[in-house]
Parts: sequence; C-alpha cells; structure tokens
Amino acid sequence: MVTAKPQPAPAASSSSYAAPPPRNRFGENLPKGILPRLPPVDPRPRPIRDFISTRLYKLVLATLYLVYSVYLKLRWTYHTALNRGFSILYYHHRTPQLIQQDVMEVKANGKLPKHLSVILEYEKGGLDTLIDEVAEITCWCASAGIKHLSVYEQTGVLKSYISTSHRSIAQRLHSYFGKSRPTLRVHSPPSGSFNDMSDEEGSGAHVDIEVVFISEEDGRESLVDLTKTLCDMAQRGKIMSEDVSIELIDAEVKENVIPEPELLILFSPNITLKGYPPWQIRLTEIFHVEDNEAVGYQVFLRALHSFGKTEFRFGR
Amino acid sequence: MPATLYGSSRTRRWLLSSPPVEWVIYYMQELLINALRQGDIPQHVAFIMDGNRRFARSSHIETVEGHNMGFEALAKILEVCYKSGVRVVTIYAFSIENFKRPLHEVNALMEIAKIKLSQLCQHGDLMDRYGASLRVLGNLPLLRRDVLEVIEKATEMTKHNKKAILNVCFPYTSRDEITTAIREIVTLSTTAQAPPSPSLSDSSASSSSSGKTVIPGLMDIESITEQTLTDHMFTADCPPLDIIIRTSGVGRLSDFMLWQCHPNTEVVFLDCLWPDFDIWKFLPILIDWGVKERRRALEMGKKSGVREGGAQRESVF
Repeated sequence: MVTAKPQPAPAASSSSYAAPPPRNRFGENLPKGILPRLPPVDPRPRPIRDFISTRLYKLVLATLYLVYSVYLKLRWTYHTALNRGFSILYYHHRTPQLIQQDVMEVKANGKLPKHLSVILEYEKGGLDTLIDEVAEITCWCASAGIKHLSVYEQTGVLKSYISTSHRSIAQRLHSYFGKSRPTLRVHSPPSGSFNDMSDEEGSGAHVDIEVVFISEEDGRESLVDLTKTLCDMAQRGKIMSEDVSIELIDAEVKENVIPEPELLILFSPNITLKGYPPWQIRLTEIFHVEDNEAVGYQVFLRALHSFGKTEFRFGR
Repeated sequence: MPATLYGSSRTRRWLLSSPPVEWVIYYMQELLINALRQGDIPQHVAFIMDGNRRFARSSHIETVEGHNMGFEALAKILEVCYKSGVRVVTIYAFSIENFKRPLHEVNALMEIAKIKLSQLCQHGDLMDRYGASLRVLGNLPLLRRDVLEVIEKATEMTKHNKKAILNVCFPYTSRDEITTAIREIVTLSTTAQAPPSPSLSDSSASSSSSGKTVIPGLMDIESITEQTLTDHMFTADCPPLDIIIRTSGVGRLSDFMLWQCHPNTEVVFLDCLWPDFDIWKFLPILIDWGVKERRRALEMGKKSGVREGGAQRESVF
C-alpha cells in the first residue's frame, strides 16, 4: 500500500516458502513471492562500494547544508529588510492614539486577546534592556486595551526586580499617556504584588493593566510542586487519588500561576518554548516572525492581526 | 481559467507518473535521505495532522476520503522518517475533544483507524520493514471494544520490533496525560497502609536533610522531581521530543505534547494541509534541524575551546 513494489500473490508466496529460489537478487525474486521483509540471503560485504557510497552521501549532505545556509542568509536579508520597512511604516511615536488607530482594524474585524503573553530573553542585552522592553510592551498593551500581560523570562531575574520594573513601567506609561496614565499592577506568582500606591488606595481597586512576571519555575516545576502537595494530602488521607482530575489541577494552576494566555508572542527567530508553563499553553495562539530578533512594535501589531483573523477551531 | 489550471495539473501529474520521471524522483529521494542520514537527525518527531477535513472540503470530496488521504500522507512521511533515522514518531490521531464531532464522522474515523492500524502492522508492511513497534497512547477506556481489540492485536504483532517506535495518540489530550501521571504518582504515594502522623513526618523531614530515613513503605514526597513526572507520561521511555510539526497554518499546540515540549523542542507551524504534506515539505525541516544542530555543536565547541585551549593559545602567540 505504501511502496510501489508489486504485491506478491498469496498463492505464489506459499509455494515459494517451500522452495526458496537459489539466487537471491532482491528485485528478481519479487514476482515469485518472497516477501520484502525477509532479509536478503546475500549479505556479502562490499567494503569498496559502501565506502564510495558513504563518501557520496557525505558530499551530497555537505552540498545540501551549503546550499541551505546560502538560502538562509538570503531569506534573512529579505526578512530583515521587510521588517525594517514595517517598523518604519508602523511606528507608534509613543502616542496611544496611533496605537489605538492601528488596533482599530483588528478590533473591528476580529477580536483582541484579553490575556497576552510574551517570551523575552535575558542574555541578549542585560537587565536594563529587559526592563525597557517590558515597559514598552506594557505601554502598547495599555494603548491597545489589553488588560493582562504575562512576561516569561526563563531565568526569573525579573522577579527580583519587581519594584524597579514597576517604577520604569510607570514612568514609561507617563511618557505615553501624560497625566492620566492607566493604573498599573506588577506581580509574580509566588510572591506578593506591587500595586500603584499613588492614586488608588485599596488593592481591590480598579487596575487598568496587570503585568505578571513568570519564569521556568512556574512551568514544569509548579506541576511537580502540585504533585507533591497532592501526595502529601493523600498520605494524610485528605483526598483520594481518584479525586485528582483535570478540573482540580486546572483550578490550582490558574490560581497559583497564571490563567491561559490567548496569544503568545515570541521575539525569537524560531519557536522554542524555553520551558514556558506547559499546562497553560494548551490553546494559546503562538506567534513569531521568521528571522526576527528584535522586540519591535511591528511584531506586536502583526501578532494581533494574525490573532484576529483565526477562526476558533478546536475539536469541533 | 479553472479549466486550464485543471489541464496543467493533469499534464503535470501525467508527467510525474511517467516511468522515467518516477524513477529519477525515487532515486533522488533515496539519495537525499541517505545523505541526511550522515548528518544530525532528530530522534523524536511529533506531528499534528491537521487539515484533512479542510482538504476534503476544498477539493470537493467526502470528509472520510480526506481522512483516508491523510493516512496515505502519513504512511509516506513515516517511511521517510524511519529511513532517515528518526527513532520515534508520535502522531496526534484523535483528540478526546474530537468525540464532540458528529457521530457519523467519529464512527468513520474509528473504522479508518481499525483498518489502517491492522494494515500497518501486517507482516511485511511498513512497521515490519523498518522494525517499528506500535504504541497507542491515550485514554483507551474511552474507545469502543472492537477498536480496542484491533489495537491490542496490532500492538501485540509489532511488540518484538526494537529499532523504532510509532506512537499513535488515539483518544489523547495532554492535560489528560498529565493528570493521569499525577494521579498515578498520588496512588503510588499512598500504597502504604497507614498514613503517617504529623510528628512522624516532621521528624522525617528534619532528618532527611542529614541522613535518609524514609518511613518504610511510604514514598518520600521530596523525591518527586520533574523526572518522576516524565517517567509517568505515556512517552516515558522515548527520547526527548526534538521537533513538533503542525500543518494547516494554525499556530496552536491544541493540547498535544504539552509536557514533552521541553526548552529545546522546535515547534514548526506549516501552512499546507496535512494531505499535501509530503517528503519535499518535510526534508527542508530535517535539513534545517541538521544545520542548526551543527551550528549549535560548533558554538559549544568554540565555548569549550575558549575555556580549555584559549589561554594556552594566547600565551603561545
């Protein structure tokens, strides 16, 4: 069914089992009915032939890799030029009105994600760049009307600079929005949150944008911790193992880490999740731009556009 | 316009299926696959076979026929995988959510699965030729009895094959898998008879830092790690997932291999529908992986070279 080789007739095969043919060149015997799964009886070593064919394959492989590398270089050049063009065409000039205008199309035709997530990398430019990027993205989200932003960074360095980042983001928001800037809340899952102290008093007050920092320990490790807790409870007789259900785990994970993001933006040239929380990413739309390495507004905008167009098709 | 298009595709098909052209293409494929074998090849590849229904709709054929063509595409890709040295292939055949589809389609899918699984595992067919053993992963109790019987038979027939593995995720979702794993661990942890009293567990916790005194018969909770969970997943003895490929241009994992997507798993979203996915779309991914892997190895070599030999070299020059 799979190969183009002729299928042996059943009658012929039974007769050939009784008397195997004397010479066993693979192709010649096929019509007579030796099944392809039988090993050829002729495993005569052919060192020279093998050597030459290996050399040939290696040569072909080297050529392939070379050609492919050239293609990659060309593609990279093309995409970089394209991305430059896009980032000139679409620039926000730090004005929320412009961003709103860009997002209007998406809002009109489709939908906006309520919970956006981004993966950022620490190693590229150090802590200052990282916080700067977070501040920029927060401002774009605030302008577009996205209320939840979770920032994934593998090492978790952001978590120890929550107050610093809160200050930088607040400053950046100020430079975007002026006096009436949106209220902000920055926190990370295990530790407490850092609210806006300035205008709102109670923590239950209205928050315009919420930023959550997550790291690798909120991924697989959080599920390991949950398992430990459940085991402990089971050993104490508080729950039965049958009580462990998808709903239970989902509720725990949502409460202790983050809820499911609707859109995940990667600013890396290819998609690797780098240890992103596995439970939450089930239905998340993952977006990246080929050969892009910068945290740019055009990537953000293209991600929103691509999210708006997709029809929700899961299961049904 | 459509008529000329149709005509041109027909001539193309005629040309491609003419014996000399077919022969050349076949040997080209063999050459490329054998060449790729010499380089780095991913050990574990997963496919989300999406787009069968849309393919059927767009080419005006029955949905079931679309699924059948999808299976044919799968058989071809499997062959390429095993020939080029991929050890484990995991496919997303049926999601638990798919039970929500119209009943006649679900039934048709079950029938296809029954026929194709037993066909795949026959003596002399694909699995046998490449020494691959079949495993069906997922929440099997959800299946009908007759389907289960076929699965059991097929698995039994290929059990002795050790060279490669085909994981068919049949009624599967990743959340279900993770939950099952956690439930298993919880069950294991309580297999002992009496639950420990608080004072006992406290003393064990304090002494575990100095020595190792676990309550006999009870599982030490602190010994649970990522590896424990990994070992309880359906893919426990498979190598880590290297590439996950989804066709049909949708950028979601859709509850597939969530746990297995470890930090370095490459996720590839392709724009073509699954029945259109063939060797010529798959080979670039393999080449890309090989190139990247080689670059990674070079970088690693450079780093370690700088650490070990760098200082010496500087002093020499």
